[in-house]
Amino acid sequence: MAKKGFTRRQFTGTAAAAAGAVAASSFGAPYVARGAEKVVKLGFLGPLTGEVAGWALPGRNACLIWADQVNAAGGIKIGDDNYMVEIVSYDNEYLTDKSLIGAKKLVLEDEVKLVLMLGGTDAPAAVQFFTKQKMLSTTLLPSDLTPDTLYHLAPAEVHPLYNVTGVEWLAENRPELKTAAICAQDDELGWPSVATYLAAFEAAGIDVVYNKYFDIATTDFAPVVTAMLAENPDIVCLDTAYPDFVNLLCEQLFLQDYKGQIISCTLDFYGRIIEKTSTEFLEGLIFQFPDFDDPAMNEPHINFENPNEFFVNYNERFPDAWSAVTWEYPAIAEMWRLAAEKAGSVEPMDVFAALKEGGRGPHVFGDADWWGEELWGIDNALVGNWPVVQIQNGKATIVEYRNIIDWWNKHGELLKKHTAEQG
Amino acid sequence: MRRSSRFWATSGGLAALLALLCALPFLVALYRLDILIFMLINVILAVSYRFLTLAGEYSLGHVVMMGVGAYGSALATKEAGFPVWVAAPLAAAFTGLIAFVLAFPLFRMKGFYFLIGSFAAGEAIRLSWNRFRDPFGGPGGISFIPSPEIPLPVLGTVDLSADPRAYYFLCLAVVIATIVIFYRLERSRFGLTLHAIHWKDVLAESVGVHIWWYKTFALVLASAFAGLAGALLGHYLGTVNPVQFNLHIMLFVLVWVIVGGTRTIAGPILGVAVLTIVDQGLRGLDEWRPLFYGAILILTVMFLPHGLESLPRRAAEWWQAIRSRRRPPVSEDEEPPESDRPPPRDA
Repeated sequence: MAKKGFTRRQFTGTAAAAAGAVAASSFGAPYVARGAEKVVKLGFLGPLTGEVAGWALPGRNACLIWADQVNAAGGIKIGDDNYMVEIVSYDNEYLTDKSLIGAKKLVLEDEVKLVLMLGGTDAPAAVQFFTKQKMLSTTLLPSDLTPDTLYHLAPAEVHPLYNVTGVEWLAENRPELKTAAICAQDDELGWPSVATYLAAFEAAGIDVVYNKYFDIATTDFAPVVTAMLAENPDIVCLDTAYPDFVNLLCEQLFLQDYKGQIISCTLDFYGRIIEKTSTEFLEGLIFQFPDFDDPAMNEPHINFENPNEFFVNYNERFPDAWSAVTWEYPAIAEMWRLAAEKAGSVEPMDVFAALKEGGRGPHVFGDADWWGEELWGIDNALVGNWPVVQIQNGKATIVEYRNIIDWWNKHGELLKKHTAEQG
Repeated sequence: MRRSSRFWATSGGLAALLALLCALPFLVALYRLDILIFMLINVILAVSYRFLTLAGEYSLGHVVMMGVGAYGSALATKEAGFPVWVAAPLAAAFTGLIAFVLAFPLFRMKGFYFLIGSFAAGEAIRLSWNRFRDPFGGPGGISFIPSPEIPLPVLGTVDLSADPRAYYFLCLAVVIATIVIFYRLERSRFGLTLHAIHWKDVLAESVGVHIWWYKTFALVLASAFAGLAGALLGHYLGTVNPVQFNLHIMLFVLVWVIVGGTRTIAGPILGVAVLTIVDQGLRGLDEWRPLFYGAILILTVMFLPHGLESLPRRAAEWWQAIRSRRRPPVSEDEEPPESDRPPPRDA
């Protein structure tokens, strides 16, 4: 009688074949240096797997595209040499111990010249090691910065400081909006962001009629939205909620027939939100992260090579995966390239000096100041212009670039007060 | 009395293993030494977890107990100014105390209910670290935790965390002590009673065994060693945070113990060692790694349902079968041989 089902041998064979195919495709991806070409390695230390991978993997993939573009253009010009770029990544699973292992591997074994990190809870041990090794490293979360993290930079994002630009723009362009309701997840991303929004609303003369945290394990946002809407706010602020939370909150706002203004830090995968709601519902929503095919990304002050082409390439290779952080890692890598060419060296301390020269640096949205001592005790965050982005006809559109430091100079005390109150 | 050849073979093997472990720090790259240090800490965690399972209960709160030790030792050194050598044992004892308190509600449950209860208790503790920034630091945890130091007459103070080799030997010493303690305990009358409770708890109770006390002692001791592992981890990394002790990490402990096997103390050690090596071996695959890791786990459970520790016996059976030109046993699901069963109470 013929055997039915799946035998162990068949299972093993099929699994091995599938594993081999996947391994082959994955091993083939990175750039491989040829012959006597000079190669400079940049490290990527972040969660490529697990719950937080959404804030690192798209960025790592974008770095691969950036490296391909740089290499296709002849590499990085250092003196008389052209260096090809290789991205070496290490999945730290967003764990402190794996981060330290990865940090040592990248620095001591791979001899990378820069380490790109997401930052957050996985960072402290690795950053302490980088500091001892005089290794240049970067974070997307400036809260990682301390007076001791000498060579750790936040050159792309100053979360949540830039959120003030969206509120300020809203207050100027829609002065009829007088009240706001804020909901935020109860974690280290939510708290400082709430403090920032509270300060920004107070500076703009907007009353906050509702401000509550929801638990990070929340899955049903109907009660959260109902409680907010009960206060009849002109603006609903989604703070810096995780992408899934933003998605579910928008869906609930739509289901509960909210027709007012929405403001959010991020709006990842907004196409999917439109599919669940409608183009009309999302129209006018304000957030802070642009698509790189935006015409305003071609303005002369932008420090990013061919942003439109980069956006197209990314979407071709990784369809439907563009998110808030996608461009930030390659933007940092591009900034590093400019500084290395200026320094005439790829050595971390030479590039660090070139980056910090004159107290200004080439931020992706325009030249900006190294700043941060008042908040983090060290001027290692690059702060300048940040775009205010609005959904217009179902598409993210930059409506204006605003200067973060201008706002800080006028209202910095408010932010300090609310930061202290939020603990 | 003449020692058997098996005794000498085992002793020789252990001596060779110890020699290898002592030589390893001088043979591997610095970052691989860190892998070894974390592996040793995980061995303490897995071996202590197995001891708890001897009483027949699987907990989902063991990693949180590790966190209690890590946080306790961090606060004792940073806030109270205790030296690490005092703070770490104190933190381990405190973890045992917490486990003792938890034993009252938890051991009113059995099996699946105990599993869920231990998860809930663990999450309550872990989320309190998340919630209360003072003194636990909230989601960011505690950083700049002092490292263990040894004052030497001529060399001055040696910072062990700054020297991975020194820290490796510290961890190795703790691991050896842990294994010896749990091995001796398991072979003692106490351990045999735990086995009896595991297999026939009603029968054990009927002959006068106070099940609650035995289970509680196992939980307290296992948790205290988990706490010690946590203290070692915290002082090496210089930072602790709630994410390091979440359910995701607990699942790794379960995988180490199940894949390694639970019949002997060698099982979880093998599980930690082999899966750490596999994890490192798959590093080049980046985001595809979990797929391969999962496939390896599935294949291991399919072909070695009694864990990696049964591999030598399986290999011997296959070898015997080849030599005698007969087929090896097809299924592992059959009753294990006499040698693999827990020793009888009167042994």
